Amino acid sequence: MKDRQFGVITFKSTNYAIKGESVFKNENIEFRTIPTPREVTHSCGLAIKFDLKDIDLAKKIVEEKSLDIEGMFKVVKKNEGSFAEKLS
Amino acid sequence: MKIEVDARGQACPKPVIMTKKELDNLSEGVLTTIVDNEVAKDNVSKLANSLGYEYKVDKKSDKEYYIHITKGEATVDSNVCIPDTFKDMTIAFASDTMGSGSEELGKILIKSFVYTLTEATPFPSTLIFYNGGVHLTCEGSEVLEDLKKLEEEGVEIISCGTCLDFFEIKDKLQVGEISNMYTIYEKLKNPMNTVTIG
Repeated sequence: MKDRQFGVITFKSTNYAIKGESVFKNENIEFRTIPTPREVTHSCGLAIKFDLKDIDLAKKIVEEKSLDIEGMFKVVKKNEGSFAEKLS
Repeated sequence: MKIEVDARGQACPKPVIMTKKELDNLSEGVLTTIVDNEVAKDNVSKLANSLGYEYKVDKKSDKEYYIHITKGEATVDSNVCIPDTFKDMTIAFASDTMGSGSEELGKILIKSFVYTLTEATPFPSTLIFYNGGVHLTCEGSEVLEDLKKLEEEGVEIISCGTCLDFFEIKDKLQVGEISNMYTIYEKLKNPMNTVTIG
């Protein structure tokens, strides 16, 4: 698999994640609901995945809609290993 | 004939795949796989074991394991009947949600599950969709993009024709092939692993 990176937003609970998804659906942003990547946390939660080019927009949505998030991360996947960095 | 596979620095399951590939090419002789961690050493050893080949592990250091695998005449012919346990798997989708309890949650879980399939290699060999599961392969499904990606990677995608008919969505199919119960039965019965999601 080739190297790639993307942003994820994690939530404090599944219900907040479901709410987050419905908010994002009404915004003009490309995103996916995915299982929280292992690099971010070992919990089995849901997360919102977005393109890093939309980072400002994603932050704006979270702020304006007062989404109860746990954190925003940059996930980097490489053949030699993957890792996550906290964005905010 | 001696062959060496240097799988140091390779993430799981790469060392196993690399070893398997070379073993398939090798008609007879010794193959040595070098890995840099214990988990990879165990996995490659398990592969040798499952194929019925003799192997010996030589630990040079904590970061250097040499696994010598002997493929000889005395062993069973690997071309006859050793399925690829790493790939030979069918996943059946019996519904367009995952589990019961909450439909809203079930729909999110199934999206999440199909996305995970695209992330974890090796991919399964076949995905089968029946009853409500056929909604996942048709127009309006939120997992189409992932299913198309899997199809491009060689995963066989089969939707139950009777089911598409029942829901009157045969013309809405967006990915994979339509098939019948005979094929579905074959695909469920033949692989090493069959998993049902629904």
